[in-house]
Amino acid sequence: MTGGLPRRSFLSGLVGAGVAGPLAAMAAAPIAAEAATRASEAQNAAGGASAADPAARIPFEGINQQGILPPPQRAAAFVSFDVTAATRGELAELLQTITTRARFLTTGGAPQTTGISAPPADSGVLGPEVAPDNLAVTVAVGASLFDARFGLAALKPSQLRTMEDFENDALRREVCDGDLLLQITAQSTDTVLHAVRDIARATRGSMQIRWRRDGFVSAPRPSGTPRNLMGFKDGTSNPDITDAALMQKLVWASDGEPAWAAGGSYQVVRVIRMLVEFWDRVNIHEQENMIGRRRDSGAPLTAVAEFDDPHYDLDPTGESVPLNAHIRLANSRSQADLDTRILRRAYNYDGGVDPNGNLDMGLVFVAFNRDLDNQFVAIQKRLANEPLVDYISPFGGGYFFALPGVQGARDWLGQGLLSA
Amino acid sequence: MPTTTRRARLRIAVICAAVVLAAGAGALAITHFGASAPPVTTAGNDVAGDGSIDVIAGLDNCGSGWSSSTGGPLTFVVNNTSIGNIDVYLQSADTGAVYGELEGLGSRASATLSAVLGDGSYEFVCIGADAPVTTGAQVSIANSAARSDLTPGVVPVTRNDLYQPTQQYSAWITAQLPVLAGGVADLATSIQSGDRAAARRSWIAAHVTYETLGAAYGAFGNSDTAINGTPGAGMTAETDPDLTGFHRIESILWSDQQLSAAAPFAAQLVSDVSTLETTFATTRLDPQDVGLRAHEILENSVQEELNGSDDAGSGSTFATIDANIEGTEQAVLPLRPLLADRGFDLATLDDWLARSTALVESFRGPDGSWTPLSSITAAQREQVNATLSETVELLAPIAAICDIRQGV
Ligand code: HEM
Repeated sequence: MTGGLPRRSFLSGLVGAGVAGPLAAMAAAPIAAEAATRASEAQNAAGGASAADPAARIPFEGINQQGILPPPQRAAAFVSFDVTAATRGELAELLQTITTRARFLTTGGAPQTTGISAPPADSGVLGPEVAPDNLAVTVAVGASLFDARFGLAALKPSQLRTMEDFENDALRREVCDGDLLLQITAQSTDTVLHAVRDIARATRGSMQIRWRRDGFVSAPRPSGTPRNLMGFKDGTSNPDITDAALMQKLVWASDGEPAWAAGGSYQVVRVIRMLVEFWDRVNIHEQENMIGRRRDSGAPLTAVAEFDDPHYDLDPTGESVPLNAHIRLANSRSQADLDTRILRRAYNYDGGVDPNGNLDMGLVFVAFNRDLDNQFVAIQKRLANEPLVDYISPFGGGYFFALPGVQGARDWLGQGLLSA
Repeated sequence: MPTTTRRARLRIAVICAAVVLAAGAGALAITHFGASAPPVTTAGNDVAGDGSIDVIAGLDNCGSGWSSSTGGPLTFVVNNTSIGNIDVYLQSADTGAVYGELEGLGSRASATLSAVLGDGSYEFVCIGADAPVTTGAQVSIANSAARSDLTPGVVPVTRNDLYQPTQQYSAWITAQLPVLAGGVADLATSIQSGDRAAARRSWIAAHVTYETLGAAYGAFGNSDTAINGTPGAGMTAETDPDLTGFHRIESILWSDQQLSAAAPFAAQLVSDVSTLETTFATTRLDPQDVGLRAHEILENSVQEELNGSDDAGSGSTFATIDANIEGTEQAVLPLRPLLADRGFDLATLDDWLARSTALVESFRGPDGSWTPLSSITAAQREQVNATLSETVELLAPIAAICDIRQGV
């Protein structure tokens, strides 16, 4: 079926032959709906559409950091820093400062008053009092932090490394990797930017921004999971975040990791350009076959409603959902695939315009997982040369390890690592 | 004067006696702020009903409405009931240290003043346009809980306080001008002799001398533009027909133009520097300038040098920044006692100034040549950005503290 051919080879070789194929697949019989997963419900309840209460806050302290499990928020910034601190002691001070600032910003309150001793301590972007606005600051470390500078080499999480180039990647290294990644999310953009400025100012001499990519989550259109910029609902199928045992299995670091890493998680960021002009010139059934879902409802091509199971068992040859459709490659629903799912937290990005006059927009793909190689990497490899690759171009991001959470007033992000 | 932007003041001749509101990026390097606790109980007017205290500022009545407080975060809504502008300070009745100010509060205007106060005796002070001073009743705060987020109290810096430091700085500049004159004379000579390598060396040496004088540029006036101007919008140092001075000469020395093309500009430069020596002898430095420039010299380096926009071919950005750091230290020098008295952390600043110098000078080779900004690695660039930016953060409070205020 057409879905099986990468678009470019199709364009260059087959000149239109076989386009009718997928139409047959669209007649696939509806399959009884199954109950939506709790994770998806939770995601939708807490997701983009909810009215923003500026006083809403996500607790700063916990076994895990605050910005990993909760569903993506409306506004996000991914800011990767290189540490310029000169010594291990200065690195510890840096992490303490980030902790102090993150604790204040996510809790809210009146900024420090400076009288006539200095310019104002706060940018004022959020007014005289800082409202928490569900701000979550999540700090992750990159492989480069474990080089010779700070004597941390022996403490590196076992699978942490510089993100490799995958089959269809066009990585620009200056917008990849970094020593520290700050994922800053909140209900509103000003809250995110206020936090970025505050933290960057407080740490001016100790780290420098290497790359930054801001993202957003759309409101549900009209309902269900918010859509990405290809027009498809993105984030529908995710493991249930309320199932602690499942999160332990899929998300939180365990065996094989240094003791300090408990409660942390491998964080993958892939900044992926969408070639939206090209995509918009593609027939709807071709688009849907590439993803494996209906664009309007988000339902699997084998089912009725968004959260329905795709029932690949009833479609063994890919008559409805092509065998190389994105969702089918990503998760065939075999036990092995179910056991190695990732927690996805994708954001849209809008980057203006490129030199060809084409719009630069796409996806900040974010995933958390316990076992980088057997989860994210395995999925990414299964997706190699999927039909979708002709419409996307991964160029940025990196592998990071999200630190364990802060527990107690005296604890700070990375204390376990630096005192190990 | 308030209509002149600080940025413009970096380059043009404005002797500005009016108080300049400190603005811009601030100083809080690795500082830890905590959230403030909810407002504490207070006796006084609270028309808004939100825990704030309504206070009157006038020339016959200053601070009334505030009679007692326990320590902690306090918010005053200050209303000017007089018929003219008023400056309002909340200060220690014992030391005169100021915890909050409202400058230029208009007649009938009100504004909020917040401070976090610990034990002590406090009072409001109202100063009218013609400087009649009214001091309000003292309010004592006792038995307050220890906290880490108290507002720092700073004794205002007066015009008088800045008299001696300004003299001292001015004397340093006066002593540097002959060095500059010698430098530009060398430059003219080596251009005359047709030795391009020697001309380039003397250009850097003379330019570096000029780049140490940053806190005086305002007082230099038109001379600064003639000596160290940069090309107008949309033009380069080579194409701007009105450009003279260092950057014009630089664009010739580091191009394939005939060396002799630089000769008239070198002669002009010698004469402009000589004019500067003469005029500076009778110029009075604005006392406001030293503190302001102590911050802004390096602010300017970060903005105009680190992006390479002032470079017209010499690739001597790091030589310039090195000189700017030296110039910053010279501006801070006479202010040190005054800053130390006011609790300013000189040790940390010195540390970062030294760090900045060491880093910048690491880009000078054993033969004295400087690595061009464009040749350093991304990691080196991050170090440079981090180190200079942190230093600027630490310098910013100097401008805030040295903002001239009426002492009471
Ligand atoms: C721009 C690039 C991408 C686009 C447009 C995209 C789009 C989508 C869409 C529309 C879905 C179906 C809705 C859902 O369940 O969320 C989906 C599912 C999924 N995607 Fe992607 N995706 C992209 C990149 C990636 C990458 C890089 C990975 C991982 C390597 C990935 C892994 C998955 C997984 C695991 C699922 C869920 C499959 C399931 O459980 O049924 N995606 N994606």
